[in-house]
Amino acid sequence: MKNRFLDWLYKDQDLLSGITDVVEKPDISRSELKEIMRSAEEEYDNRPEVREAIGRDRDRFRSLYMIVALVSCIALTLVLLYTVGLTSNYGMENPRTLEVVRRYVEDGLQETGAVNIVSGMILDYRAFDTLGESHVLFTALICVMILLRIDSKNQRTEYEDYYKVQTDSYFDLSSDPILRLICAVIIPCILLYGIYILLNGQNSPGGGFSGGAVLGAGMILFSAAFGFDTVDRFFTLRVSNIITFVSLAFYSFAKGYVFFMGANGLDAHIPKGTPGAIFSGGLILPLDVAVGCVVGCTMFGFYSLFRRGNIGGRV
Amino acid sequence: MGEWIRFWIVAVILVCAIAAFITETVGLFRFGFVMNRMHAAGIGDSFGLGCVVLSMIIASGLNLTSLKLFLLVLFMWLTSPVSTHFLSRIEINTNPFIFRHVRFDAGDGTHREEMKA
Repeated sequence: MKNRFLDWLYKDQDLLSGITDVVEKPDISRSELKEIMRSAEEEYDNRPEVREAIGRDRDRFRSLYMIVALVSCIALTLVLLYTVGLTSNYGMENPRTLEVVRRYVEDGLQETGAVNIVSGMILDYRAFDTLGESHVLFTALICVMILLRIDSKNQRTEYEDYYKVQTDSYFDLSSDPILRLICAVIIPCILLYGIYILLNGQNSPGGGFSGGAVLGAGMILFSAAFGFDTVDRFFTLRVSNIITFVSLAFYSFAKGYVFFMGANGLDAHIPKGTPGAIFSGGLILPLDVAVGCVVGCTMFGFYSLFRRGNIGGRV
Repeated sequence: MGEWIRFWIVAVILVCAIAAFITETVGLFRFGFVMNRMHAAGIGDSFGLGCVVLSMIIASGLNLTSLKLFLLVLFMWLTSPVSTHFLSRIEINTNPFIFRHVRFDAGDGTHREEMKA
């Protein structure tokens, strides 16, 4: 390995050749360089034709800028003050705001079966909010796919292909044995930890969003260390679509069933389980898993789309 | 008596860690070249963090908390050198004037001073 590294290092054809021809940098300090650049700009600005062209536009632009800045600042201040005036009183003066909080804290464990009150809130009392957040993630993935995905109708130009080859040889990490060895040790731990966070959302801090983020980060590291070809064997666009659709559909149907059966899950007949056990909290555990799958797919999809323009497999 | 011995051991190791962190901070701000700064940062990341966690393990005794602390320093020691390795690799790849700062060992005891572009 060392010899290969040295060969690569001392070869006349290095990675840089063709992109940047080495130019001898004059030995000047940074302040001197700044001074030279500033004087050059000044000299350019002082030419009569440039001066005339800039002068008119600059004066007009400056006065317009001042007026717009002043008006927008005053308008923003007024809107903010008006909004603050509209909000209700807080604290002991307004008992309505305390009622909900007291209900969550005192009856949350009994009504949701989750030791972690936050999970009980976001996945039971306010599950529609979390459903919307999951759909926002899904929509964001779709939008990025519309903008960045490369298919047969949207090929790269010749220049972009050249650029991609050059940058990929720069930043391709997958051929590095050090990274491969460390990742072979680290990635199982990361994925296991993500699953632990995902499954323990009702008992300890964590849940769908954080667990899914850890899983997605593990996948990103995996693809960086072992190349996209390895990931493509089990994670394609089709798999990603199926996972996301099944998760969101399950979430929607399960929560819709609970909401239609009666307020506060009275007639839903979903067992709450023993608080503190893994299978407890009624629907919170499966909903956590669903949200985690959506978040993980979205994170890895973003990375893959930004990096190479599609998820899984070639065009 | 045993508690006092433990306290003084922990204190001495923590002072070592603080010295390492001071070295790291000064080096990070005083050095000019990126490799030197990475070396300075590595002192705190490896030696300083190891000292802090070792002292915490001694202070808390052998229990689940110390196991978690040990895992923490283990993962930190595994991942931190890798990121440093990639930073230096990018620096070697992208800096055309790298041979003004660094002298590479050619493998046979001689040094290669410069590379013709």
